[in-house]
Amino acid sequence: MSTLDATLRETFAKIADILIPNAEGMPSASEMKVHGEMLDHILDLRPDLRENFLRGLTKAAGRGASEAANDLNKTDAAALTAIGLVASAGYYMTPRVRELIGYPGQQSRPEKDPDATPEYVANGMLQQVIDRGPIFRPTPK
Amino acid sequence: MATSASKPPKTADVLIIGAGASGSVAAKHLSENGFSVVCLEQGGRVDNGDFWGNKPEWELMSQKRWHPNPNVRDLEQDYPIDTTDSDVNPLMYSAVGGSTILYAAHWQRFMPSDFRVKTLDGVADDWPFTYEELEPFYDQMDVELGVSALNGDPAYPAGTAAPLPPLPIGKIGMKAAEGMNKLGWHWWPAPNSIPSKPYRGRNQCVRWGTCLTGCPERAKASFDHTHWPDALQSGAVLITGARVREITVDQDGLANGATYIDRTGRERHQKAGVVIVCANGVGTPRLLQLSTSGKFAKGLANSSGLVGKNLMMHPYAAVTGYFDEPLESWLGPAGQTIQSMQFYETDKSRGFVRGAKWQVMPSGGPLGMRAAYGGKPLEEAWGANLHRNTRKVFGRAFEWGIIAEDLPDEANAVVLDPTLKDSDGIPAPKIIYKNSDNTKKMIDFHLARAKEAMLAAGAVDVSLTPLMRDCGWHLMGTARMGNDPARSVVNQYGQSHDVPNLFVYDGSVFVTSSGFNPTGTIAAVALRSVKHLIANRRNQKVAA
Repeated sequence: MSTLDATLRETFAKIADILIPNAEGMPSASEMKVHGEMLDHILDLRPDLRENFLRGLTKAAGRGASEAANDLNKTDAAALTAIGLVASAGYYMTPRVRELIGYPGQQSRPEKDPDATPEYVANGMLQQVIDRGPIFRPTPK
Repeated sequence: MATSASKPPKTADVLIIGAGASGSVAAKHLSENGFSVVCLEQGGRVDNGDFWGNKPEWELMSQKRWHPNPNVRDLEQDYPIDTTDSDVNPLMYSAVGGSTILYAAHWQRFMPSDFRVKTLDGVADDWPFTYEELEPFYDQMDVELGVSALNGDPAYPAGTAAPLPPLPIGKIGMKAAEGMNKLGWHWWPAPNSIPSKPYRGRNQCVRWGTCLTGCPERAKASFDHTHWPDALQSGAVLITGARVREITVDQDGLANGATYIDRTGRERHQKAGVVIVCANGVGTPRLLQLSTSGKFAKGLANSSGLVGKNLMMHPYAAVTGYFDEPLESWLGPAGQTIQSMQFYETDKSRGFVRGAKWQVMPSGGPLGMRAAYGGKPLEEAWGANLHRNTRKVFGRAFEWGIIAEDLPDEANAVVLDPTLKDSDGIPAPKIIYKNSDNTKKMIDFHLARAKEAMLAAGAVDVSLTPLMRDCGWHLMGTARMGNDPARSVVNQYGQSHDVPNLFVYDGSVFVTSSGFNPTGTIAAVALRSVKHLIANRRNQKVAA
């Protein structure tokens, strides 16, 4: 169950957008709702992040997001690292973002015929290595 | 606590401490040959369903719960390690199967010269046996593990083919191989203990690419799957959650069991006729140093003073290449795709001795790539630059990893920390480890060559990592083997020179480190040792 109130979420969203803005054809972090249910999900999975994350947001509350983020980066890197990890983890788990960067996620793609002759054998690439001969040093028996 | 159905015997024929690679080999073969076996393992069993590799949260969970550094994981079964005086963090995992739960399954053999470094290069010591003597045990372990490889690598003498065909090398392997061929340098599809086809109850690798954080497919050959089912079937008793505090000795100076603490906090003792320590390069010397008594004031098996010394951890460097075409570089195996031993053998004109193995590995997902940006200015690491960097590198990059052979040095050591303790109040280990000048020169040379290889492959940009701090997967040398009791801890079969019924079977016994991933050799050496013990059982001195 979440203990994060709307103010903290808003602070997080603003800093997350400094870190991951709408730019270069990519959406911002808050557009991907990293401050919504995704935030709760991540902190449930990684409770170790909570202390640094909340400390950073508390320090940032009421300040301009850019100023707060830069200040945290200089004075409390652990807090900014936690905020950045929560933001980027949520962002890159989003199906829309994965689609935009061409990442289908880790894939199950078994080799259909493991006994088939590999391409590097069929096209002669490996033969060049074989033709150069052994490269190990003989050892005295 | 106990994970076997069987109750442990009051006095076991053999007590094994540690259920990782070497302990698993010992347990299977001893129990199949009629020995009563009890194994004490401080970790628990891992269910493949607990791994995150097939879920979106994979990278997030990799950075904590399934991180290979025990100081990061911070689980109860992990003992903490003081690394303040070390250039490298030791990595490991405590569970049935040991660190093979999280290893990359690069199933390598050492090359023949690795066993003769003193004779050939005038440094360190020769091993007490040769490549040729170990070869049949390598062959047998290939079958027991289900190794996927292509026979005929010119980096080795001709030998027996692995039981399974090689895994696909993917676009990244093909790209790297093209570069190596342009330069006329050695490469070969790499051997992996990951089945390319279903094998002995395990599934075919489906290329999740998450071997380093656990295989969700139940394909990778971790020893909880390859050896423990047979060992338990043959009557071995496996006790998990058992943290050993001390190996005990009788009045004749023979090992007669071990005292351990179970997960209820209760102290227990398991008696045995023979004790085999399989806690690897940090855990084994720690335990021997903890096991002091009137007869063994410096720690058990330590008349040479070498227990804990000569720690070798394989400094790891890497060159990452960025390409202007999609390479699907998140796709497994990870695992390794191709390898090179072009610069493995000594060439003294380079200004150092020995060498390194290279391997190509996938580069994972978008979140892991972010780890390199810690501490950089905000605008460099984040903002629009984040999107530009992701577009540039994600799916279009791979690394040539470089495993540098570090030579034994008595100053590099595992000692008991004077203040740090584990969750049971037992003194924790402290690591003292510095890279030598030979190692530094070696890494510089190999980084320069690997950069050439990347550029030859068509990389549009490269980045160099001279030393990865979280790289101490390979823990070796801290209870070295040899024929001279003054210069070694155990003999060529892992038997203590001081305590004739105490054995060490893990990577601690390595005389030198080679430049290869060591688990294949740990397993082969353990198999050679345990077969010798079985064959000589009638002559083996045991505690009463």
